Amino acid sequence: MNRLHDIEVYSPKTLEEALEILRREGDRVKVIAGGTDLIIQMKDGIMPRKNLLNIYSIDELRYIRMGNDSIRIGALTSFTDIASSALIRNYARILADAANTIGSIQIMNKASIGGNLVNASPAADSIPPLYVLDAVLVLRSVEGVREVPIQSFYRGYKKLDIRSDELLTEVRVRRMAEDEDGIFLKHGLRLGDAISVVNAALLVKWDGDDRFKDVKIALGAVAPTVVRARSCEEALTGKELNDSTIWDAASKVVNDISPIDDVRGTAEYRREMSVNLLYIGLWEIINKRNQAGW
Amino acid sequence: MARKKQLLETAETYVSVSMKVNGVPCSAKIEPRTLLVHFLRDVLGLTGTHWGCDTGNCGACTVIMNGKSVKSCNIFAVQADGAEIITIEGLAKDGQLHPIQEAFWENHGLQCGFCTPGFIMQAYWLLQQNPNPTEEEVRRGISGNICRCTGYQNIVKAILTAAEKMKR
Repeated sequence: MNRLHDIEVYSPKTLEEALEILRREGDRVKVIAGGTDLIIQMKDGIMPRKNLLNIYSIDELRYIRMGNDSIRIGALTSFTDIASSALIRNYARILADAANTIGSIQIMNKASIGGNLVNASPAADSIPPLYVLDAVLVLRSVEGVREVPIQSFYRGYKKLDIRSDELLTEVRVRRMAEDEDGIFLKHGLRLGDAISVVNAALLVKWDGDDRFKDVKIALGAVAPTVVRARSCEEALTGKELNDSTIWDAASKVVNDISPIDDVRGTAEYRREMSVNLLYIGLWEIINKRNQAGW
Repeated sequence: MARKKQLLETAETYVSVSMKVNGVPCSAKIEPRTLLVHFLRDVLGLTGTHWGCDTGNCGACTVIMNGKSVKSCNIFAVQADGAEIITIEGLAKDGQLHPIQEAFWENHGLQCGFCTPGFIMQAYWLLQQNPNPTEEEVRRGISGNICRCTGYQNIVKAILTAAEKMKR
């Protein structure tokens, strides 16, 4: 295991200072937020040795606020704060549920949403909910501000639309409407503190006839990036919802994913679990609505 | 001590950090790479915090940082600059064990004891957040701590007992 004896760490106290360092140093520094992934990767030598820009003390990047039509989450906000935020539990419940499964309490206390997004693991639990909630990422630099929809932020395995002088400072998610329901599902090898074998976020909009007017499904750990299950979504939109249509639609997810074998499971297992997770998730959404007296 | 010497003297670039550990202000010039767990153990000599898996999995290095439990093996000491830290050494007061420590003793919530400081610190945070946890909430709360001896039964029992003691 590598020891980290020769790296230098910059620890700015304000966003302005951090952006100035990024402009000057660019690729020579790696941004460290909570560090729960990065420090391990540095020790293992997976991450090239770089000087660090430690943004952990920039408290102005820790907030959860209601914007005009979106919820604004500062990039350094911890998953403990996201999971327990009344705003997020009320208006973006899928994200709160995902935050709760990210890892053990100690990890949730330190890991940040911005770090999870930029670390860009295909298995990151916060990303599928952000896909279905149409998240927009705010990137700042000395030059100015860019707003990038999350689906165009990820261009391939750990390939991101972010320049070396830019810092991810905010995540905006849209508020779920009254006629929408959603769910986050995770399959890991144990209940606590596990990396997802497959995860999924589902968001549906109901029409007046107990059918889905619109469906959004995103899955993680089954492709180089998080992916939308378009063929599955299409098979559900406007259809009568019964066991056979739901099973058929869930089965179509294999067209949308390209899993690999790894230490946590085989590609074949992931395909089967993706179908099962969507089947379970869709029924949970429907049953919850029926119980609510619709 | 050899390690302390190495951490303090061979650095190419030193940085100053200061923090309050168990209520005592302390500061040192250290290498930027120093992890919080090494700072506590090797610079301050507080070896009650254990250095286990070094990968953020086992939880033996759990300490309280600014009121939240964290794993000190995946935090650089510079990230804790200005922070308030509580370690296992900070729990007993005036020779009197903390109720959680008492409960672990009475319920034999340990065998080899390596994981115990981490479990106790995580229990400390858990009971602050939720003074009246169910068994399931305790198990969820300690899911980031691994014990390879006990099978967790007595650890869970100890934490539930501690909750009762702390209500008195």
